[in-house]
Amino acid sequence: MNISELTANHAQWLNGAEDRHGIVVSCRARLARNLSALPFAPKATVEDQEQVIEQVLTAAQRGHLMNSASFFRMDALRENERRLLVERHLVSPALAESKGQRGLLFSRDESLSIMINEEDHLRLQAILPGLQAENAWAAVNALDDELGASVAYAHSDKWGFLTACPTNVGTGLRLSILIHLPALVLTEDMERVTRGLTEMAFTVRGFYGEGTHPVGNLFQVSNQSTLGVEEDRIVEKLTAITQQIIACEKDAQDALLKEARAQVEDKVWRAYGLLSHARVLSSQEFMNLLSAVRLGYSLDLLKQLDSAFMNRLMIVTQPSHLQMENGGEIAAEERDIYRAERVRSHFATLASEESGQS
Amino acid sequence: MKCEICHKNDATTAYTHIVDDTKKTLLLCASCVPQNEEKKKAVPRPKEDESTQSVPELIKKVKVEFNTAGPSESTENTVCQGCSMTYKQFKKVGRLGCHQCYTSFAPQLERLLKRIHGAEAHCGKDLVEVGTVPSPQKALEQLRSELKDAVDREEFERAAQIRDQIRGIEVDAEGRSLR
Ligand SMILES: [Zn+2]
Ligand SMILES: [Zn+2]
Repeated sequence: MNISELTANHAQWLNGAEDRHGIVVSCRARLARNLSALPFAPKATVEDQEQVIEQVLTAAQRGHLMNSASFFRMDALRENERRLLVERHLVSPALAESKGQRGLLFSRDESLSIMINEEDHLRLQAILPGLQAENAWAAVNALDDELGASVAYAHSDKWGFLTACPTNVGTGLRLSILIHLPALVLTEDMERVTRGLTEMAFTVRGFYGEGTHPVGNLFQVSNQSTLGVEEDRIVEKLTAITQQIIACEKDAQDALLKEARAQVEDKVWRAYGLLSHARVLSSQEFMNLLSAVRLGYSLDLLKQLDSAFMNRLMIVTQPSHLQMENGGEIAAEERDIYRAERVRSHFATLASEESGQS
Repeated sequence: MKCEICHKNDATTAYTHIVDDTKKTLLLCASCVPQNEEKKKAVPRPKEDESTQSVPELIKKVKVEFNTAGPSESTENTVCQGCSMTYKQFKKVGRLGCHQCYTSFAPQLERLLKRIHGAEAHCGKDLVEVGTVPSPQKALEQLRSELKDAVDREEFERAAQIRDQIRGIEVDAEGRSLR
C-alpha cells in the first residue's frame, strides 16, 4: 500500500460507533515491548535497529493478525507523509521525527498497528471508535500473544515487561480515550474534573497526546501507572471513569440548554453556517466550530450529521492531509482556503440530503 | 481555574512531578507545561504544525524525578554489564540502554519505580513462552470483528481476505486437535 491508497479510506476508529451521545471519539490501547536480545533505543546501532525490524516482520508474518498488514519504512517517506501518519494517529510524533531505521506496520482498517524502533523496540496499538476499552485491550493483547510467541521479550519476574523509560515498565499498557467535553469547558468545570482524574492516577492531555494543546475541547484521558495494576483493572477503571465524565458532561450540556436554549442553539447554528460557507478557515477556528457543531449533535439540535462525518472531516482537514490531497506543499494561508473549500463541500452533501428529505 | 504558573490562561493539564520524595500536582495551561522548570516567558500558542512536536516533555518530567533521587558517588558510577551505560548517563537521558540495566541498577531503580508508580512489583499479564502456539481464540475474535467492519463498509474484497484468514486459523486448529 502507498500513502495515497491509505488516504482513500477512512480509519475504522473514526466511524462513530459507541460514541455515547457524540461525546467519546475513540479509544486506544498501546503496549510497550522490547526484544531481550538487542540493546534498547539509546544504545541501539543501525544494525540493531535493522534486526528489530526484521524480527518483528518475521514474527508478524507467522501470526494471523498482521500477516497481511502494510509496512512503511519511515526513512523512505517524505516529511509530509510521515506527518500524515501522525495525523491519522498511526505513529507518534517521536517516530515521525526521530533518526535511524524505524517503521510502521498496520492493518488495513488501521485498527491494529506496530511502531518499530520508537522509544521502545515495539509499540503495539489497537484503536477503536467510541468507548470500547475492553475490545481495544483484547485486540492488542491478542497481537501481543502472537508476537510474544515468536520473539523473546525483555521481561523480569519482578517488574514485568521492561521498557526503555521506567515510566512504562510493568504491563507497558497505556490505555486512553479521546473525549469531547465542550460543556465542562464552558462551565469551567474542567479543572475539577482534571484534578479528580489526577488523584485517581489518570492523566489529561490534548488531542495529539503528550504536551499538545487541547484543541476543539477534545481531551485524551489515560492511565498514569503501568506497574502494579493489572490490565483488566486499568480497563475497568478507565471505562468507569469515562462513564462518570460522560455523565458530568451530559448534565452540564442539559443544564446549558435549559438555562440558555436560544444562546446555545445560536452558537451551534452559527458554527454550522460558518462551516458551510466560510472561505478561509484556520485549523484552530475549524476545530472550535466543529466542537460547537458536535455539541449540537450531542444535544440533538443537529440531526443531519453524525460522529463519523465529523471525525472524518477532522482528519482530512489536517495540514498534511490537505497537502497530500493537493499534491504538494501549500503555504499556511493557502491551506486555510483549501481547508474551507474541503469543509464546504462536505457540508454541501449534508444540505442536499436535507433538502432531498423534505 | 487559572494556570498556576502564568495565572492567565485556563488550566487544562495536571502536571505531576516529584520534589523531595513528595508528589506535587500543579494545574497548568498548555503553554506552561513543558517550560515548567525553566519558567520561560509566556509562550505564544504554537502554530498548527508545531502541535506535533512534543517529545521533550516526558524527558523533562522524568529528569525532575531522577534529579531528586539522592545521588551518591558509588551509585552514580554503576556500569551496566549488558550495554556499558552508567547510572549517571541514564539519569541524563532518562532511558535505559538494555534489559540488563534493570539488574545492574536494581537498587536505584527499585526506589525510582516505587516513586513513579507507587508500586513495587508487576501484576498482570505474564510472558508468553517463545515457541508456544497462541490460542487461536483471541485472533479469531479480532478477525471476526474486522470482518464485520469490512462487511459494514461494503469492502467485500477485504472481507473475503479476512474470511480466508479465519478459515486458515480454523483449519490449523482442527489439525492440531486431531494430532
Ligand atoms: Zn500558564
Ligand atoms: Zn544496560
